[in-house]
Amino acid sequence: MVMADEEENGVSIQLEFPKGRVKKIMALDKDVKRVSSEALFLVSRSTELFLQFLAEKSAQVAIEKKRKTVNLEHIRVAVKRHQPTRDFLLDELPPPSQAAKPDKPTQPAGRPKLDPAPRGTRCIDQFFRKPEPENTAQAPGQPPENPAQAQSPENPDQDQAQSPVPVDES
Amino acid sequence: MADSDNDSGGAHNGGKGSEMSPREQDRFLPIANVSRIMKKALPANAKISKDAKETVQECVSEFISFITGEASDKCQREKRKTINGDDLLWAMTTLGFEDYVEPLKGYLQRFREMEGEKTVAARDKDAPPLTNATNSAYESANYAAAAAVPGGIMMHQGHVYGSAGFHQVAGGAIKGGPAYPGPGSNAGRPR
Repeated sequence: MVMADEEENGVSIQLEFPKGRVKKIMALDKDVKRVSSEALFLVSRSTELFLQFLAEKSAQVAIEKKRKTVNLEHIRVAVKRHQPTRDFLLDELPPPSQAAKPDKPTQPAGRPKLDPAPRGTRCIDQFFRKPEPENTAQAPGQPPENPAQAQSPENPDQDQAQSPVPVDES
Repeated sequence: MADSDNDSGGAHNGGKGSEMSPREQDRFLPIANVSRIMKKALPANAKISKDAKETVQECVSEFISFITGEASDKCQREKRKTINGDDLLWAMTTLGFEDYVEPLKGYLQRFREMEGEKTVAARDKDAPPLTNATNSAYESANYAAAAAVPGGIMMHQGHVYGSAGFHQVAGGAIKGGPAYPGPGSNAGRPR
């Protein structure tokens, strides 16, 4: 009989979902007391229609995005495009996964800055020390001149003016 | 057939039970059924990700709760305790799914034909578990729903068990005309 009806009407009257499960879902609402068999039948059928609708719309979205696999985002877009479905479903859908951005650990730039004063001081010391060795180098030159000129009483003058020496010889 | 399907579904659900807890399982329709219907609606080469299947599984449960809640509210406003087919058709229209109403009426007509043919068998099978109140509500809903589609009844009068009773109901409905019977009409029918 069922087969005959199916062939005759061209549409299956066979329910796709188990009645008990549909009834349990309806009964989740505590206000729902009793449900007639026709009501249960209509809910099962309308759920099938809704499921077909959702699948078809999601497939369209997938095709628009040139994808062969229907995923969460396609379902979300399909839901958004149909106002009645959007009204009760959009809040129920899982939120789009946010790209996790890795936190960059801020490295503390703790550079120990050396005090320039000590170095400056050292430079000054070095500057002063350089002239002294020159004076010392000149010092050995004077002793040999001193004994040679020690005979004459005008040693300082001769030291300052070297040219008068030939005059003394003449 | 219905019983067989139910049992088969149960067995299948048993297999799925290992994946999710029993309570969690009861909140959704079997994902195998959901996947099968989705694939029928999709192009041949299309595939569905697992996340998509699970999300749609939740969506259809939400749909059932959404429609049922609206129908239930209507029953409460009208001081009735049993949700019937007309309540659901009204709820779908109210919630923006009016496109579903015409196809569902077609299904409902064939459903009633099937129910009519199985009336005796159904009563014999269901008598023990059902309470008197449920039985009364069941019959009352059937009569009320039948009145909503007098054309259907007239067309198949010869095939319905207890045709005399249906004829009376159909007669009553004719007076009201083919239009959707209002709450007043429904109020007049309860026994």
